[in-house]
Amino acid sequence: MKRSSLTRQLIGGVLLAELICAAVFAFVAVGHEMHGRRRAFDVMLRGRADSLLGAVQDAEDPDDNVVVDPTELVLPSQDVYAVLNPAGRVLGQSPAAPPALFKGSGGSNKPVYFNFKANGTWYGAIRFDGMRVIDRDDKGGLRRPVTVFYASPTRDLWHGAVEAVRFYVAAGALLLAITGIVLVWFLRRRLSPLQELAAIAGRVSVHSWEFVPPGAVLRTSELAPIALSIEELLKGMRQSFERQRQLTGDAAHELKTSVAVLKSSLQLLSMNPRTAEQYEAGLEGLLLDTERTEDLASRMLALARLEEAPPEPSESSELKAAVHTIAERLSPLAALKQVALEVSGEETGKVAMHADDAEVLCSNLLMNALQHSAPTGHVSATVQTYDGVTELRVVDNGEGIPEAALPHVFERFYRADRSRSRNSGGAGLGLSICKAIVERANGSIHIQSAVGKGTEIRVALPIAPTP
Amino acid sequence: MRVLVVEDEVRLANNIAAALRERCGFAVDCAENGVDGAALTEFQNYDLLLLDLMLPGLDGLSIVRQVRRRRDTTPILILTARDERAQVVELLNAGADDYLTKPFDLGELLARAKALIRRGKGVSQPVLTVGRISLNTVEQTVRCAGQLIDLSPTEYRLFEYLIFRPRAIVSARELLEHLYDYNWQHHSNVIEAHVSNLRKKLRAVGEETSIATIRGRGYRLEAPEKQL
Repeated sequence: MKRSSLTRQLIGGVLLAELICAAVFAFVAVGHEMHGRRRAFDVMLRGRADSLLGAVQDAEDPDDNVVVDPTELVLPSQDVYAVLNPAGRVLGQSPAAPPALFKGSGGSNKPVYFNFKANGTWYGAIRFDGMRVIDRDDKGGLRRPVTVFYASPTRDLWHGAVEAVRFYVAAGALLLAITGIVLVWFLRRRLSPLQELAAIAGRVSVHSWEFVPPGAVLRTSELAPIALSIEELLKGMRQSFERQRQLTGDAAHELKTSVAVLKSSLQLLSMNPRTAEQYEAGLEGLLLDTERTEDLASRMLALARLEEAPPEPSESSELKAAVHTIAERLSPLAALKQVALEVSGEETGKVAMHADDAEVLCSNLLMNALQHSAPTGHVSATVQTYDGVTELRVVDNGEGIPEAALPHVFERFYRADRSRSRNSGGAGLGLSICKAIVERANGSIHIQSAVGKGTEIRVALPIAPTP
Repeated sequence: MRVLVVEDEVRLANNIAAALRERCGFAVDCAENGVDGAALTEFQNYDLLLLDLMLPGLDGLSIVRQVRRRRDTTPILILTARDERAQVVELLNAGADDYLTKPFDLGELLARAKALIRRGKGVSQPVLTVGRISLNTVEQTVRCAGQLIDLSPTEYRLFEYLIFRPRAIVSARELLEHLYDYNWQHHSNVIEAHVSNLRKKLRAVGEETSIATIRGRGYRLEAPEKQL
């Protein structure tokens, strides 16, 4: 993928804007310059034409005609002119007056300016009607109207304009170059925090979580949120990685210990010759060990499934039904332990939970309560619905959980009293599974407990919208 | 010999204990958690400590540190399900003598246990000899000039304990503490009876090496001068 550089884009953008500005400025300036020069040229034309008019003299002939007397005229040699009387007779003209000079004939009293090309040269020309008075006396003299044509090559005018344009363009280019260099330096300098941030972020890997944004980055209002969110993200990921590593380690520990039990049991059994009864007892123990390993593996897989697979929209079940089913299933155990198991409550909606998961949830919670209850103890499970939330409360008056252990009870492989729980067959996954099931259904689970008084677990689940 | 097994997985602890009792003739005590385990080590009656690394209450590493801080030189074998190198290095540096990762081979565990006990008593060979008598700790047999002496398990254990420390006076109390686990009712006259039987069996094969009774202090395995 071709990458675009922010620095280059910024520099390019600013330079382009500058270039357009310079071009517009040069264009306007050149136009203004041209206009001024043209005006000056026209004034000059008029002046020269006036002096030409002044050179119109009495011809001293019987008809009192006038002629141009060029002797006193001082005009540039390349200028061309002609003076005509109203009849169209040429009263006088420059030696090489081109015919195109006369095209402006016939018109108003105002001077008329026009351009023409003759002999490969452009001329700026003026035509005006003038009045020459000769034999001036008290009666006013004789009035002789004439038309003056005067033209001068515009080459010099354009030459000057081109010079001016050149100057403006050169100045603009120089300015552009200087600001470009300054801009590059400035932008590089100001964008260095961005590069530092990229460099530091680039150093982060699975093995090196170090990410300390430099002060320059944190002082930049555009970069600080990015840096902070990266920092936050990395912190979260690091914790998650650590948790995962801890979890893998714990799972390996549990599995290896399970296998160690099986292996040592088998080796012990085959170490010495034994009686049939001893073998039988050994096999029985082995079967129990195998069942425990199986249970551990299936619980770990269940947890992995609950946490990995997204919930399906079709999953819905009634918590009340699940509680009743499980209570019925556990009633022999409750009777054996002499614990009163009581189920009550009402429910007005379904929760977004698979029926199997709902049973596992109820079974884990009720089983825990039963296991931690003394004979003549009491376990109750209540299901209630209010404000669109179904709440399951499992309360026992058993031995309770020490305060120090309470924050950890939902952690995987955590056992408040490991040796005892091992004997009761738990792998420290029951409550973790409950939590995973509840969170999968967007619910929450809370535990309250006091040593010697009992434990209360509250599961709150939102009612699923009926399809 | 008496071994302490600190392991929270009760089934595993029982298997190890049974193997140590059956195959090595050791007295074995078990503790299910670190706190109980650490308390038992304080009696210093053990010839080997077998510790699980991850224990409720107090972990294996902490127990190792406690034991070594007391200048207790009892050999320590660690059982661990985690074989992370850094952790193993930390354990050995803290004073543990050896480690085994779960799941382990029971035979290897027993061999390592015996080797550690031997080393702990300054002996490197599995066969110990005093005069004409040799004791094979692997076979758990005692021979006099090649001739097998038939000993009961308790007599063997008693003799094994004494032969590790020839010429040293070993009290009846020490023998009780190192030959029986804490489930046993302690009666020193049990020791007296076993010693007397042992003497008879040694004498029967014409062995002059004898176990002397030092009144009020204990027993001593007499060894010929040239042995030392």
